[in-house]
Amino acid sequence: MFLTRSEYDRGVNTFSPEGRLFQVEYAIEAIKLGSTTVGIRTPEGVVLAVEKRVQSPLLESSSIEKIMEIDSHLGCAMSGLTADARTMIDHARVTAQNHAFTYDERIKVESATQAVCDLALRFGESVHDEDAMMSRPFGVALLIAGVDELGPQLYHTDPSGTFMRYDAKAIGSGSEAAQSELQDKWHKRMTLSEAQKLTLRVLKQVMEEKLDQHNVQLAQVTPQKGFEILDEVKLQEIIEDM
Amino acid sequence: MPDMAALAHPQQRQFNPYSENGGTILAIAGADFSVIAGDTRQSEGYSIQTRYAPKVFRLTDRAVLAVNGFAADGNMFVKKVKQRLEWYRHAHAKDMPLRAIARLIQTMLYARRFFPYYVYNILGGIEEDGTGAVYSFDPVGSYEREACRAAGAASSLVQPFLDNQIYFKNQRPAAGTSHPAHLPLPTVLSIVIDSFTSATERHIEVGDGLEMYVVLAKGRTLQGLEGIRGMQELTATEDGERVFIVRRDLKRD
Repeated sequence: MFLTRSEYDRGVNTFSPEGRLFQVEYAIEAIKLGSTTVGIRTPEGVVLAVEKRVQSPLLESSSIEKIMEIDSHLGCAMSGLTADARTMIDHARVTAQNHAFTYDERIKVESATQAVCDLALRFGESVHDEDAMMSRPFGVALLIAGVDELGPQLYHTDPSGTFMRYDAKAIGSGSEAAQSELQDKWHKRMTLSEAQKLTLRVLKQVMEEKLDQHNVQLAQVTPQKGFEILDEVKLQEIIEDM
Repeated sequence: MPDMAALAHPQQRQFNPYSENGGTILAIAGADFSVIAGDTRQSEGYSIQTRYAPKVFRLTDRAVLAVNGFAADGNMFVKKVKQRLEWYRHAHAKDMPLRAIARLIQTMLYARRFFPYYVYNILGGIEEDGTGAVYSFDPVGSYEREACRAAGAASSLVQPFLDNQIYFKNQRPAAGTSHPAHLPLPTVLSIVIDSFTSATERHIEVGDGLEMYVVLAKGRTLQGLEGIRGMQELTATEDGERVFIVRRDLKRD
């Protein structure tokens, strides 16, 4: 039986005659509705920053969690359907711990990213004898930051399961303006402190509200201290320094 | 009419899937090199099955594994370790570091905790920091990094000799001097050769041939290896650690 043209966006595993997977493309669109997320790689470490949209004055801003730890040397920031990211980050955490258990070493940033992307394309079918776990693509993009023997690295993943390494990357609703700003301002010898300020400056430009320590979250991964989320006190210092 | 007398007694049958194939292995770590050696005789009881069955295997340019005990299990175990190393290379785009191989061997051995590989493993090579290393394992995966270790049929003869010659046990240093932490390569090679010629004299399951692998740290000169008879290089990649094999005859009686 033939499907009409418009019906090719129903099945998650059906290519359209033009060779497109509509559900995956729609998932990529879903990210553009998410809050802006920025990542910058420097020789001293990687910085991640996200905008927290505080929709109501009664909302506890500290309960919005958009940056998470994968392992002591790996962090992750998200944009899109953040609930989907929990499944992916849980998978990344298990993969990282299994690697440490089996090989007595920290997993490489690229390997952890690859593991997350392997999961991203497992929608609509069950793998091996596992139960089918996801009936649609993930609606979230991740910035995975980490430090390994190759130094500080930043990876971007999207719902199609593609991943790429970046020096600086912005995702989410304000990503277009943010990305061009990063392209202007990023340079090879950037310090960590410069990167912290640049991420906030970029977020400030694309945010509707006035940026303060309650509506942004900043994290970094350094060779010395690994992954850490900066607290509001430290965040305030950086904002004042901007 | 069944034999009632026989039926009155409990009967027992058993099948033993293991056998013990003799031989001895040994490894010694230097400051920037590692020597891993084993004889090549394979026997069962008083019969020699073959005079050349290697027990020492090059895994990567910086890791060599010696396996002793039940030869069939040993060969299968080495095959599986090599397979895991190849999968790791494809997944992570690098050779597995020595301490990662050591941990992998532990997890592979312990996975068979209740039907073990009947083998003692000794892993030798160069660590990420460029130091020579030896890891020794029991059949279910307990492991430890050491300076030297002997295992197999003649381990009870060789290990006390190494304790004395490598760890200087029961030796007192001359006044005003101290024992060296690491021995130079020529000394180590002499100790290895002497260990096997002596074990061949005193143990019937040791002999026929000796294979010594030498792993040199990145950038180390051939100092101490030049002019060694029967040496052959096995290194696969350039500008990294280097692996050599030295083959010698042992008495065949």
